[in-house]
Amino acid sequence: MIRALYSAASGMRAQETNVENIANNLANASTVGYKSRRAQFEDLMYQSVVQPGAASGQQTVVPTGLQLGLGARTASNELVFTQGAFSETDNPLDLTIQGNGFFQVQQANGTLAYTRAGQFHLDKSGNVVTLDGDPIVPQITIPPDAQQVTIAMDGTVSYTLPNQTASQLAGQLQLAGFQNPAGLNSIGQNLFTPTDASGEATVGNPGGSEGMGSLLQGYLEQSNVSIVNEFINLIQAQRGYEANSKVVTAADQMYQNVNQLSR
Amino acid sequence: MDPMTALAASGMRARMESLDLLANNIANTSTGGYKADREFYSLYVGPEAMDDEASAAMPVIERQWTDLSQGAVHPTGNPLDLALSGSGFFTVQGPNGPLYTRNGNFHLASDGRLMAADGYPAQSVNGTALTIAASQPVEILGDGTVQQGGATVGQLAIANFADPAALVKQGANDFVADPAAKPTAPSGTSVGQGQLEDSNAGTAEGAVRLVAVMRQFEMMQKAVMLGNDMSKQAIEQVAKVG
Repeated sequence: MIRALYSAASGMRAQETNVENIANNLANASTVGYKSRRAQFEDLMYQSVVQPGAASGQQTVVPTGLQLGLGARTASNELVFTQGAFSETDNPLDLTIQGNGFFQVQQANGTLAYTRAGQFHLDKSGNVVTLDGDPIVPQITIPPDAQQVTIAMDGTVSYTLPNQTASQLAGQLQLAGFQNPAGLNSIGQNLFTPTDASGEATVGNPGGSEGMGSLLQGYLEQSNVSIVNEFINLIQAQRGYEANSKVVTAADQMYQNVNQLSR
Repeated sequence: MDPMTALAASGMRARMESLDLLANNIANTSTGGYKADREFYSLYVGPEAMDDEASAAMPVIERQWTDLSQGAVHPTGNPLDLALSGSGFFTVQGPNGPLYTRNGNFHLASDGRLMAADGYPAQSVNGTALTIAASQPVEILGDGTVQQGGATVGQLAIANFADPAALVKQGANDFVADPAAKPTAPSGTSVGQGQLEDSNAGTAEGAVRLVAVMRQFEMMQKAVMLGNDMSKQAIEQVAKVG
């Protein structure tokens, strides 16, 4: 009886985590470069009441036994790295990665972080920086009098100066790839840091043979959250929570019945 | 205890275990690849009382069986999410021998091995782990063959068991098999890429079973109380003298 109560409670906790995860996905439905997370569940340990293979008589054994499960838990909420939709912005420093790569960004503490959000800007000294002011790696500087900034699919950044026809090379953008991107650590501000599960970053030029993907200038990658799917998940999570709470009520009522046996 | 009370009490205990099974099923309605447990009632007949069956036969849950029916398959778009349609299990290299699972939520480890959700590597038909390069798209065919750029990397081992009773759940969506039972290749099972199998324990069905268990429990409780009353009457009325 107590088993049923705790199994149901574990189910409610799992569904709670599910709703929290859905809430975060929906809150970030408009965040550029956001990758949705998906909660995964697994069943807990099993308590053997009758061991399979135990003797049921002098000649026979129990073929399967009785094992009572003890509920569910949230195993992980993994990142889903499907490509988000592209939206056109016409801003020359808006970039989209068509493929699996990440932009490399240097954080204020000097360590590298990785992002899919390609909303870049210039700081006061002409460096290409993210929305939070972190410079892109390798550093690219555009002079203040540059007229037209062009970023090619292979990451070559060039610009033209006034009264000149030949374009100047500003630098080469590089992308980083991971063996297991789903194992990256989210640190907020659209940034990821590598972990033992993701593996170390391999760096390559966009459009190269490393499979990092190519760049698209003037477009932004929208989040890959599907609002319809999230709502369906929300309905399922809510109903699952409700069913588990019904089990708590049922177990409670059965307990009450037992207590009423001796009046 | 009189036979009627004992019988009804045994039935109550069995229903409590039914509720435990049901609670676990309902808690796992969102667990990918989860297979529901069902109870199997039998009569316990005391060996010393074979001649008086009515009083010695007690209903108990002797064992549970796992309902291995197909769960609903939903598309996810993640190329390493695999769903099995039909019988069989993915084989995973557990620490103490193979584990079997229907949860096809695979991912890559940092060394490129294909890992199941529980963190153990997936096993290919020739008994090794599968190594995949992350930079190239992965294509997984209906028979579990893993291809990258047109070249075959390996084939996922899909195990089928003639007797489902040889499988015992051990948590984390894994089953262990009785060492005597040898897995065979399934027939008519296909692997769907970019899809996951849901739990086959539904909340609606769980709610209906919950009502049934509760009402049966209540009936047994009434029977115990009836037996109690009868005993009381017997003590107070029959033995009354004068």
